Amino acid sequence: MLNENTLLKFNNIHVEVEGKEVVKGISLEVKSGEKHAIMGPNGSGKSSLANALAGHPAYGITAGEAYLNGVNLLDMDATERARSGLFLAFQYPLAIPGVTVANFLRSAVKARFGEDSIEMRDFRKILKGKFELLQVDPSFATRYVNDGFSGGEKKRLEILQMAMLKPSMAILDETDSGLDIDALKIVSHGINSTLTGDNSILMVTHYQRILNYVNPDYVHVMMDGNIIRSGGPELAIQLEEEGYDWVKSETMEKVEA
Amino acid sequence: MKTATIKNYDKKFREKHSDEADWLYEHRREAWDSYVKSPLPDRVTHLWRYSKPENFLLPEAEMSLSGPAAERPEEKRNRIPLPDHYTAISRYDGDMNIRTAVNPALESKGIILRDLREAVAKGIPEVKGALGGLIGYGFGKFEALNSALWNRGIFLYIPNNTVLEKPVYLNRYQWESVSVSRLLIIIGANSEATIIDANSGNPHSSKLANNGVIETFVGDCSHLRYVHVQDFPDNSASYFTQRNQVGRDATSYSVFASLGSGISKYDVGTILNGKGAESRLFGLAFGNGKQNFDMHTVHHHKFGDTYSNLDHKVVLKDKANSAYTGLIRIEKDAENCEAYQENRNLLLNKGPKAESIPELEILTDQVRCSHGATMGPIDPEMIFYLKSRGVEYEQAVRMIVYGFMEPTFKLMPETLRDTVRQAVSRKLEG
Ligand SMILES: Nc1ncnc2c1ncn2[C@@H]1O[C@H](COP(=O)(O)OP(=O)(O)OP(=O)(O)O)[C@@H](O)[C@H]1O
Ligand SMILES: [Mg+2]
Repeated sequence: MLNENTLLKFNNIHVEVEGKEVVKGISLEVKSGEKHAIMGPNGSGKSSLANALAGHPAYGITAGEAYLNGVNLLDMDATERARSGLFLAFQYPLAIPGVTVANFLRSAVKARFGEDSIEMRDFRKILKGKFELLQVDPSFATRYVNDGFSGGEKKRLEILQMAMLKPSMAILDETDSGLDIDALKIVSHGINSTLTGDNSILMVTHYQRILNYVNPDYVHVMMDGNIIRSGGPELAIQLEEEGYDWVKSETMEKVEA
Repeated sequence: MKTATIKNYDKKFREKHSDEADWLYEHRREAWDSYVKSPLPDRVTHLWRYSKPENFLLPEAEMSLSGPAAERPEEKRNRIPLPDHYTAISRYDGDMNIRTAVNPALESKGIILRDLREAVAKGIPEVKGALGGLIGYGFGKFEALNSALWNRGIFLYIPNNTVLEKPVYLNRYQWESVSVSRLLIIIGANSEATIIDANSGNPHSSKLANNGVIETFVGDCSHLRYVHVQDFPDNSASYFTQRNQVGRDATSYSVFASLGSGISKYDVGTILNGKGAESRLFGLAFGNGKQNFDMHTVHHHKFGDTYSNLDHKVVLKDKANSAYTGLIRIEKDAENCEAYQENRNLLLNKGPKAESIPELEILTDQVRCSHGATMGPIDPEMIFYLKSRGVEYEQAVRMIVYGFMEPTFKLMPETLRDTVRQAVSRKLEG
């Protein structure tokens, strides 16, 4: 059923939050090494889809199926999904008071790769490298996770986590929002440097800008819980120029036709 | 009946305390009198809404004994390890002796740590002036009981201009089933000390009861760090009253970590007794099973330009309860004070109950004051964040709970921090 190099595949996914259906039957296939972007107006269900795929209990998948590396995602809880290589960079990363960045990452790395892994043995060294990669001041290691971080600092930390955890499939939810021009470059560089050619990303964004740095192979437009259009990178440019009304009207025409 | 009881104890007192100084004997007598005469506190009166006074009555038969202890078990169960390096150290022994040791290198500086009864017998002048000065028998019925009957007493004296690099370690391990303890600490001016007061007891005893009083005097420009750990077995009923008087430009950091005792009632407070005095009081309670914590704190600003900060954190699971009442009192002439109070309660399941009641008596307008309380379960979003990084649920809970307590842990010396963490982890899992 699955393509040899299919990494993430989901079919007809429906998501409900607070008794309301916010994702209404989405299907997508991400092959190994591919970069996908999802764009769409506020409230169209992008984060809900991302949260549901990552296993957030409040975002229930009421219908559909999802596989990561051929393994049924929906049989796993969030912990297991993360351990099997799924990663979600949050749109609004949460503060965890009293838990230092270093301890948080140590626990995460241990959980993902195991106590005796190379990653654990060389933890400090690897961490130092990732701090440099994302140009985060070393003093952040002893700060509490996202506690009092600026919007941009939170986003850097998300990608720093991604770089530490080396996911095969990363969903990046508006990682570019809140970043200044320089930070956007640094973070994009961080994202690109985690790409090995085998792993894939699915990034949610509102802006074309980040796509200039992290060139997507596919762009999907999401509206009211559905993917209404998919295309190449040129779709993002067109969207930026013409806005969502353009896709909407085109879709309407199709429906009417 | 009452007179009979008094007479009865009068005789026993004479026998038991005949070797004590007259003033102390007299003090005990008056205290006993006051104890017998004062009624049991009414449940509607202040501070007794959340605890039954009966729980803290000591069995009379045991009180009269208050002498040689029950047999001492072979294995010494010291749940709180001794640090390698210390300024001075004291420990209780089963035979009711209190063993103390002051680092020889520091004895010449005039540091005193010894059995309070010995200190009285030796006629150390500071004792007479201070004992009962903050918590006398007029303080309340149970404080009167303590003043009359204390049998485990420790006296710590740190002279002026003495900076202690290493902590003073008080290992108060209760062997006997009933303990009435008294701690008197006097720190001179321009001095600095860390005092670890570790309280635990014999888990093999069928039931433990204790009544403790702690009086601390901190001289001008001195810095005190006092860490109190209560880790009695769960079949204990613990009653503690503490007052800490802090002088001009002096600072005091106190930590009260409550882990053990089925029933406990703590009334702890710092009196800011000179301009520029500063107090930070950190409470920490972790309850499981059916534990009941009743905690009252006081920050009393007697002088202007003083600062106080109270941070009481509570974690409860199973059917444990916590009641916290916190008083901030600022006197009329005490201008430009700052007083903050925060009580946060983390309820790990649906069984526990927590209450939080701030009490503000602010008699001047020139103050900055705030208080706040929160109560609720762990934020499920935090759990999800950790799980989305591969961390298992149980560990996520542990990390969040430790994180919740971390700011208080940070104030503890490392050895103690690890012990308290272990106790918390034991309770989280248990
Ligand atoms: N936890 C929640 N509780 C209630 N409603 C929710 C919750 N999460 C999402 N929703 C609702 O679901 C819909 C989709 O929200 P979602 O966050 O997925 O949109 P989005 O496409 O990510 O929007 P944005 O671009 O603004 O981030 C919205 O109507 C939102 O209000
Ligand atoms: Mg969103």
